[in-house]
Amino acid sequence: MTSSLTADLAVAAQQLALSTVKIREGRNGIGTGVIWNRNGLVITNAHVVSGRRVTVETFDGSIYAGHVKIKDSSRDLAAIVIEPSGLSPAPTRAALLRPGELVFALGNPFGLTGALATGVIHQVAPVAGLGTAIWIQADIRLAPGNSGGPLADAQGRVVGINSMIAGGLGLAVPLVDVERFAR
Amino acid sequence: MASTLETFSNELAAATESAGQCVVAVNGRPKTPSSGIHWRAGIVVTTNHTLQQEDDITVTTPNGDTLAATVAGRDPGTDIAVLKVRGLQIPVSEPVEAASVKIGHIVLAIGRGITASLGAISSKSGPWRTWRGGSIDAFIRPDVSIYTGFSGGALIDAEGKVIGMNTSGLSRGGGLTLPASTVTRVCDELSKRGRIARGYLGIGMQPVRLSSSSTGLIVLSVEQDGPAHKAGLLVGDILIALGTTPLQDTGELQSALSADLIDKPVVLNILRGGQKTEVTVTVGERP
Repeated sequence: MTSSLTADLAVAAQQLALSTVKIREGRNGIGTGVIWNRNGLVITNAHVVSGRRVTVETFDGSIYAGHVKIKDSSRDLAAIVIEPSGLSPAPTRAALLRPGELVFALGNPFGLTGALATGVIHQVAPVAGLGTAIWIQADIRLAPGNSGGPLADAQGRVVGINSMIAGGLGLAVPLVDVERFAR
Repeated sequence: MASTLETFSNELAAATESAGQCVVAVNGRPKTPSSGIHWRAGIVVTTNHTLQQEDDITVTTPNGDTLAATVAGRDPGTDIAVLKVRGLQIPVSEPVEAASVKIGHIVLAIGRGITASLGAISSKSGPWRTWRGGSIDAFIRPDVSIYTGFSGGALIDAEGKVIGMNTSGLSRGGGLTLPASTVTRVCDELSKRGRIARGYLGIGMQPVRLSSSSTGLIVLSVEQDGPAHKAGLLVGDILIALGTTPLQDTGELQSALSADLIDKPVVLNILRGGQKTEVTVTVGERP
């Protein structure tokens, strides 16, 4: 069973890597993003991009010029558009998340590319001091370069966009809010 | 067909959901609530260090019901407090023996509001005594995040069985888990008597080397009118044994002074002025 577990995780991580991108803006740090559809829409955090022009690097090293189309700083989301060619949009899951279920994150913390972090759902609820918005709170070790990257379930389906760390917990914007923003 | 990883994930979520039904929020301090476990019918255990008031305590169940609770007893030594709660209609936890827990086993820490963190058993060994004198049946340190409000919550195995109660109050180096057997023992005694009785002599002491192979406890202070004072023990006496139990450090004396010795005479073998002698002390109860 153990070998199946690790093999399954490796497969899920490899699949998710196809739709996870690296986002650079000038000399600023590196963030992460998720290819959302075949039309070239990439979702990341609003705090990852400050201007309008960014570069987007996909898993195979292809580099695209990206244009920041719209930002929602209150929900910390940004939509970037790149030239669509052979993109692999991320599979998503809208079903209810359960505390204790496995999740994993891909991102670019500390200059690493496509780094994996694993954990579990802590709870899905508002966070004290962050208003009434619902957050996916995950018991997972994230770092600043994870911002804008995917939080995925055991099947590699995106359930939220990693946004910040609070009280040791990783906070992600739930899929329902991301989809509403992406429309 | 679900992958092994997906199946495992579902099992963890099911274990969390099941065990989480037994975990309540304990509203017993000014700001953040702590957690508690429904241990016996109408009895909730929590951590003593997070219970910062005696009155106006409430518990909140996973479905949001808030009920009044009264303190049945507290034991700083083991960091366990026991609350009585009327009308508590949630399942009672299912404990598992510490003997079945091994280093490397996957565990979940469950906090109030059904919250979870994942890890593994990092360290496990035999009985130990806390820095506050409490006797714990097994040392269990999980490599798991004990988030704010998690103290008093449950450490569960992958099947949802409760290994024990988590506390951040007994170690600087992270959270520990009080094994279920210790929680049960202390819970039952606090429920019955309201306190954990411990034997008491009323002396201050420290270890002193007697030879290359033996150590005793030298008496540094004697409490006025305490059990040792009444028995005639003096500053400078060196305790060698309590009955047949050799005394080489203060922990051994604390362990030997069990509750069943209270109000009973015990013989202390001591060195006084280089001569071996015996002093009979009637053991008191620690205030």
